[in-house]
Amino acid sequence: MKFRTVLGMLAMTAAFGLAAPAFADGVLDRGVGSEWSSLDPQVNFDAAAGWILADAYEGLVNFDAKGAIIPGAAEKWEMSADGKTYTFTLREGLKWSNGDPLVAQDFVAGMLRTLNPETASEKGYYFYSTIQIKGAGALANAETTDTSVLGVTAPDARTVVVQMEAPAPHMLDLMGSFQMAPLHGASFAANGAGGFIDPAKVVSNGAYVITEVVPQSHVLLQKNPNYWDAANVKVETVKYHVTEDVSTELKRYDAGELDITYDIPLAQIETLKAERPDEVMIFASTYLIYYSFNLSVPPFDNVDMRRALSLAIDREVLEGKIVKGGAVPTFAYGGGFDPAYQGPQIAEAAMTQPEREALAQELYAKAGYGPDNPLKLSIATTVAEVNTRRANGIALMWKKVLGVEAQVNGQERKAWLDLFYTDDWGVFADNLVGDFAGPETFLSYMRPSAEPGYDWVKPEYDAAMDAAAVIPDKAGRYVALAAAEKILLDDYIFAPIAIEPYRHLVKPNVKGFEASVAGYHNSQFITLE
Amino acid sequence: MFPFVAKRIWSGFLTLAALATLTFFIMRLAPGGPFSRNRKISPEVQANIEAAFHLDEPVWQQFGRYIWGIVRGDLGPSTRFRDYSVNDLIASGLPYSLTIGFWAILVASLVGIGLGLAGALRRNGWTDYAAGTVGVIGIAVPIFIIGPLAQLYFSVHLGWFPVGGMNDGWRSLVLPVLVLALPNIAYISRLTRSSLIETMRENHVRTSRAKGIGPWLVMVRHVMTGAMLPVVAYLGPAAAALITGSILIETVFALPGIGRFFVDAALNRDYPLVMGITLVYGGFLILFNLLTDLLRGWMDPRVRHEG
Repeated sequence: MKFRTVLGMLAMTAAFGLAAPAFADGVLDRGVGSEWSSLDPQVNFDAAAGWILADAYEGLVNFDAKGAIIPGAAEKWEMSADGKTYTFTLREGLKWSNGDPLVAQDFVAGMLRTLNPETASEKGYYFYSTIQIKGAGALANAETTDTSVLGVTAPDARTVVVQMEAPAPHMLDLMGSFQMAPLHGASFAANGAGGFIDPAKVVSNGAYVITEVVPQSHVLLQKNPNYWDAANVKVETVKYHVTEDVSTELKRYDAGELDITYDIPLAQIETLKAERPDEVMIFASTYLIYYSFNLSVPPFDNVDMRRALSLAIDREVLEGKIVKGGAVPTFAYGGGFDPAYQGPQIAEAAMTQPEREALAQELYAKAGYGPDNPLKLSIATTVAEVNTRRANGIALMWKKVLGVEAQVNGQERKAWLDLFYTDDWGVFADNLVGDFAGPETFLSYMRPSAEPGYDWVKPEYDAAMDAAAVIPDKAGRYVALAAAEKILLDDYIFAPIAIEPYRHLVKPNVKGFEASVAGYHNSQFITLE
Repeated sequence: MFPFVAKRIWSGFLTLAALATLTFFIMRLAPGGPFSRNRKISPEVQANIEAAFHLDEPVWQQFGRYIWGIVRGDLGPSTRFRDYSVNDLIASGLPYSLTIGFWAILVASLVGIGLGLAGALRRNGWTDYAAGTVGVIGIAVPIFIIGPLAQLYFSVHLGWFPVGGMNDGWRSLVLPVLVLALPNIAYISRLTRSSLIETMRENHVRTSRAKGIGPWLVMVRHVMTGAMLPVVAYLGPAAAALITGSILIETVFALPGIGRFFVDAALNRDYPLVMGITLVYGGFLILFNLLTDLLRGWMDPRVRHEG
């Protein structure tokens, strides 16, 4: 080793010595799991990075500690009678973190950048699929570069008008910073996307500003004095820490390096719950787990067989005794996320498990299978521990109740994603993370026209979804969506299993971190006592 | 000397080229791509995203583009960490990996050689047994057991050092360096001990002693130079492995080195990042092997004349 290199190493070590300790007083230390994908508000697609960005940027609406929609940059909004047009009025005197005025056009610019094919953002589908904003699809698909076709306009500095092709009561869920952050045009023109990670250049409009970014290590944010509600932001400094390994994260929490963890190791949940119940927070998310059947491969084209397999799964035992990750068993697809939605469950949800199993055996025999002729199938799943545990548990139940010989085919995640579009599976350990906490994000995904992979032909379902899609008010729409979900569940094209929860450890002195199905936890609503 | 070095550099270059080619094509054999998702993105948008990263081009064309990039010193954009180029990520992670690796190899060499020496000089004494015990533990117990145990005791229980991260100055370095050094201390001390014992029995040593040269001088001039050869041969590749970052250490101690980028990149099919880190690894390995050979040549004329 050369002497100069040695000197360099010594200098580097000394430089580390000057860094401030992580657990200084008054700093909120939050875990974000593994490294974030991007801090570019128009590109990032990660929920964890979404927390960082929700602190740094504010959309037209914001989400309170419980995840409910509250006014954000917009102080109020109005819906047109047909439900297709929303008019947002910005607060007076809004400013960017550098003091520049924040105007309505900045929100239009943000959306245009998301849709611009050159941005290569995966989030455009929020605006042409989840809700249908005029012109959004044409811009995203590069059919036109004429930005005037976009149905989002700024008639004056404080008004943003959003025009949609069809009414969508859930559009407000998509007007937060995750989907619709504003863009500081001058800064972006000068620095490009590199400006979003450069503390010297980044300009944001949220409660905090990014002041330090070290990849794979942390993001540091300081309170933004130019934020309109800065007087009510209590925590001055927020630090998001990357910790890939959950066991290490737990130890960092125990050593006081973290105030809020990203996750809890599955094996520790029971012990932690018993030892410090007040610090364990486990609550439902919009992450739905269901097992899809391959409709183009016999015998899964037979509804009796699909129903038998679905009923033979004891969901309570599976999640409570085998997986033990705190997931909530479910018999529905779109229900369980928004309490206002009174959707259906599969018909046998009201039965006891022994009754379901008896029926399952009957249906299995009816489909032509039995002890002499057992069904052999393979379950395609990822190799993540929680997923293989669940798949093995289900395989065991199928063996016990029906005599099915199920083989668990564990695949690395990307291979698993690609496997779905082949026919090399009978049962697919599927999941879907909703775009917002409501039934429609799930139910639209199952439209035969939307997701080709399921090979499900059901014009009645598309018709029922079309009927729901024209209803502007939420209550009426939910009734129509429930009718559609009934059609979906009656075909048993998948077995709903459980809703995966968020799992966090939260220090007793942290107040204002509450259960939020959509997963929004802005630091501006958190206080340290 | 110069032809030897030139020849080694040329063969190192060829090795890197072969490594780049193999990795490039093997990566693309793995199922899935950087933008596979279970979300319904319109096919046009998916195509646009892939086009932005040139993934729509034929593979040979992507390869040509990649090689042209390397020639200009550009390792391409990262598809997993969208805010950074591969050059940025390596520049950000490598200093951490280098620092930890450097201290680990330094500690491992000093302590390892010291323990080996103590063991060889006082064979079957208590230092020998102590060194042997450390050796067995260091080799037998894997990092992912020792690491968490060290964290539990020294960080959670005693609070001396942070559990993870790089936020606490030199104290952040202590545990990862020690845990990374431990298995190498074990290897080096065992290697030093047996090599010393063997050398001390050799004829030239016996002759030196018979000529009446003092025991220390014999040790330094005649025993150590010979006995250190296998240790140096081990240290070269070991240093390359340590300095380029240990994936396990970086995961257990939540360190922002390049080892973790490597795993994350492979799982997410971030082709340019996997390629970039592979080349850095390869480059360091070749460099350290070369340095080792030069050092051995300097210490042992036989090695010098082979080349």
